[in-house]
Amino acid sequence: MIHLLGIRHHGPGSAKNVKQYLEKIRPDIILLEGPPEADSILNWANHTDMKPPVAILAYVPDNLQKALFYPFAEFSPEWQAIQYALENKIPLRFMDLPVAHKLAIEEPALVAEEVAEGEEELPHEATAQPRKDPFSYLAEIAGYTDAEKWWENTFEHRVGSESIFEAVNEAVGALREQFPDEEKHVEKCREAWMRKTIRQAEKEMFNDIAVICGAWHVPALQNMPKQKEDTDLLKGLPKIKVECTWVPWAYSRLSFDSGYGAGINSPGWYHHLWNSKKDLNIKWLTKVARLFRKNRIDVSSAHIIEAVRLAETVSYIRGYSHPGLEELNEATTSVMCMGDSILMSLIHKELIVSPKIGAVPVESPKPPLQVDIEKTQKQLRLPLTEEEKEIVLDLREERDLEKSVFLHRVSLLRIKWAVKKSVAGKGTFKEAWVLHWDPAAAIDIIDKGVWGNSVNDAVTNYLISVAEKETSLQDISALLSDTLLAQLPKATEALLHRINTLAAASADVMQLMEALPSLVSALRYGSVRKTDTEILSKIVNGIISRICISLPGACQAVDEDASQHMLELFFHLNDSITLLQEEGQTQMWHTTLRVISENKNTSPLIAGYSSRLIYDFKLLEEESIQNVFANALSGVNEYSWSAAWLEGFLKGSGTILLIDETLWKLVSNWVDRLDAEHFTTVLPLMRRTFSQFSHPERRKLGEKAKSGGSTGGKILQSSDVDHEGGMKATKIVFQLLNIKD
Amino acid sequence: MENVIRQHAEHQFAQELEELKKQDSGNRPPNWIMTPQSVVTYLIGGKLKNGFEVSPKYIGNKRLMEIAVATLTTDRALLLYGLPGTAKSWVSEHLAAAISGNSSLIVQGTAGTSEESIRYGWNYARLLSEGPSEKALVETPVMRAMKEGKIARIEELTRIGADVQDTLITILSEKTLPVPELNTEIQAVKGFNMIATANNRDKGVNELSGALKRRFNTVILPVPDTMDEEINIVKRRVESLGKSMDIPSELPALQEIKRIVTIFRELRGGLTADGKTKLKVPSGTLSTAEAISVMNNGMAMAAYFGDGSITASDLASGVLGAVVKDPVQDKIVWQEYLETVVKQREDWKDIYRACRDLGY
Repeated sequence: MIHLLGIRHHGPGSAKNVKQYLEKIRPDIILLEGPPEADSILNWANHTDMKPPVAILAYVPDNLQKALFYPFAEFSPEWQAIQYALENKIPLRFMDLPVAHKLAIEEPALVAEEVAEGEEELPHEATAQPRKDPFSYLAEIAGYTDAEKWWENTFEHRVGSESIFEAVNEAVGALREQFPDEEKHVEKCREAWMRKTIRQAEKEMFNDIAVICGAWHVPALQNMPKQKEDTDLLKGLPKIKVECTWVPWAYSRLSFDSGYGAGINSPGWYHHLWNSKKDLNIKWLTKVARLFRKNRIDVSSAHIIEAVRLAETVSYIRGYSHPGLEELNEATTSVMCMGDSILMSLIHKELIVSPKIGAVPVESPKPPLQVDIEKTQKQLRLPLTEEEKEIVLDLREERDLEKSVFLHRVSLLRIKWAVKKSVAGKGTFKEAWVLHWDPAAAIDIIDKGVWGNSVNDAVTNYLISVAEKETSLQDISALLSDTLLAQLPKATEALLHRINTLAAASADVMQLMEALPSLVSALRYGSVRKTDTEILSKIVNGIISRICISLPGACQAVDEDASQHMLELFFHLNDSITLLQEEGQTQMWHTTLRVISENKNTSPLIAGYSSRLIYDFKLLEEESIQNVFANALSGVNEYSWSAAWLEGFLKGSGTILLIDETLWKLVSNWVDRLDAEHFTTVLPLMRRTFSQFSHPERRKLGEKAKSGGSTGGKILQSSDVDHEGGMKATKIVFQLLNIKD
Repeated sequence: MENVIRQHAEHQFAQELEELKKQDSGNRPPNWIMTPQSVVTYLIGGKLKNGFEVSPKYIGNKRLMEIAVATLTTDRALLLYGLPGTAKSWVSEHLAAAISGNSSLIVQGTAGTSEESIRYGWNYARLLSEGPSEKALVETPVMRAMKEGKIARIEELTRIGADVQDTLITILSEKTLPVPELNTEIQAVKGFNMIATANNRDKGVNELSGALKRRFNTVILPVPDTMDEEINIVKRRVESLGKSMDIPSELPALQEIKRIVTIFRELRGGLTADGKTKLKVPSGTLSTAEAISVMNNGMAMAAYFGDGSITASDLASGVLGAVVKDPVQDKIVWQEYLETVVKQREDWKDIYRACRDLGY
């Protein structure tokens, strides 16, 4: 006899029913919806080190982008069926269309999808139901807005489960009559294959056959068409090579959040449903309360009592027989969190989704990410040894560039293998790496395996997720420059997007200024793709606008050290803006500089530097620059203030003093006015200022001061010229010029 | 009754309440005039079995109203929390009207609210002549609600001083009000409960004590969910207010309402409507109620100082006043918004210019 068990994937209620039903009918074979290729690795399932959630990963060894995951949680009906079969030592076979065919058939469609959506990370297990969920019609009739919720209340939460599978079969049968055409070719093949497997089992003289599959397929298996139709349908299907392995899975990847198509919203809640037989609500809310307490939020037992009561009353008003997760959440918000849903994100992360990660036995087959890494290592001839080895790459060579990109990717994945070293010598085309393979890195690789099957995929997905979480603008800008070197356009895009978001929210101008130079140089010189350039230039534009708006405020009331730091940033900022050569931005920058230099509260060092930049940009008449100078050095100001201003103005070069007689006089008069005490206070400052000038500049300034102000234009005195050294140099120059003396 | 400026909810919507009661079936909690389900219908609106249309009082999430009503059936009191202008008092009034048919048992919380206005006071003339007696007792709305088994309302709970707030603890947990002077007590009749409102943006509020907090279930009333919902609310209120104040200008075009609502929503949410640009959030609340008053202000400006039709410059100063509450921080926020968002929008040039003309 054939028993058809229609289930919902990952439904704890279905799991319970399946388990009870199997124990009742005691079948002699189980046929399960799943990839037949995985039959051979099924025996790992009851290994002691096998801890769900885990997934069967079916992949194409030559093309790792093509892969399907079949995840199982403890509360998956499939998992329970597998456990039952292994415990009772009865055969269990997967009966879905082999992945080898499925991937081969879906190939053109897959490519199309990749192009269309661009961001689809991995092809997922095809859902058991067509796209527009037909169950929503039944749910609507029953007065629910959400098909999931309807299914949960109708089938999953039931206590008695006597004829539940018949009820499901009937409901789906009715639905499929209404929507006969919504089936794709692949779906038809899948069901044909299932029927084929059932017939095979019958032929082998099994008496009690339990067939477990998604509820949607049940009617198709109930009314068997002629064998010949199925054989025709399955004739000549394309095929590719597929391998299967177990990989650890995580509850967070089961949820919708991670983009897993046939996922569930609340794996943690289902885990709870599966593991607690009685007093569900009380236990759940107690867990919630304990989690709050662990995070130093005071919640008493009285809160739990009230929350349970509220959840029950609300579900009564809504006409449900008992509270679901939504009611419990609402009660938690209302009673324990003062109505604030911010705390609920903690509950969501820790309990509703739950951070549980599964484990697979170490000796089970290797995960594809590792296979990919090893393959590339071999291809690029990168040594995999336990001793440290240093390599130097010349990035002008294509081969070395490939190596560099690969090493950057691997280290971005935080796999401990390669460390970048700084290289001696000039030029940016050299790169040195120290390679050191630690067997423990294999664990990192398995850990990162959830992000993708090839290094490229994994690092992209990983960086995208990091980008979502990162909150420091500077860190993420640094990450961006590494990512650019690793040539990962998608990750670059995500990082840029995040930078944009952070830049907007940031109230700290210094942070923005720190982030800007690397962005600008990426924009000007980076090997960024064209689309990225657009986004990038938009971001840079935005950041510059933001800096210009908030900068005047940020230059007030800063102490000496901070001013120095700020000055450094000003320098880079000015460079960046000059580099960009965009009129609008330059304009805005000039206006900002004026505001800063004219503001009386700006710290003197910065005011001085801003005035200097204005002077350099020739935004002021000669006369007005003299006025500015006169104002800054007038006796009204404190001497230390003036000295700091002067330091800012003369930052880097003092030539202006040599050229402009009026300015020279102003400075000279100002120094004359200093009395002994003030002179000693400003002396170190002045010394610092002047010591930065180039040697000849200093000399000329000294001469000018000595001669009392007349322009120095004298020929260098020969007293301290190093004749001996000069002769040596001359010889070489002659040699170079090929002159024989 | 016709002449009052504003009627109580139970009078204004008497017919709706009557119809709801008529077709109501099911379990009524003691002393409620209708079932919890009907109370929810009264708030959210809907069509009754006999075809009678109940107007929506609260436009927003039905689930919140269900929790509020469910709370009142238990022995916990209800605290409606939220930004100013999110219809807290409005919901509280209608809840009281639908549950006990009386929304007037109300205590307005202020910094000066004393214990006497929450528990009971004394008629001193009588107290002096007759000594302490029941007759000399002056009842408060809370005391009356306890005696009659009705809903008492407290507005702006967090404005009341902490010591006075705590007098509520005995009332809410033991459901009794001791009168030691007469050696007696008032025990609450079934059906008594309390709805308090408080806003979570005001500075200098008196945070509830832990003990009192525990007596309340909190429901936060959010700002409207979607753009359309908010435009709908603003439009309805602006029209009805304009009528009642006899402002002789044209009703604002939907487009203007849409722009104001967009500005408010974007700044409040810190994100442009297309979700592409992050924004800084100003310190003000920017509630729907404020959007309504900006529109009204604009209408008045247009009527008395302009040609009767609303232009961007009529609205600019109102928007500015609503956004820039803190002259330093908010100014930066507003400038960034103007430069990075408003300026970029083709059909927003007039508003950009109007705002620049104001010196921002």
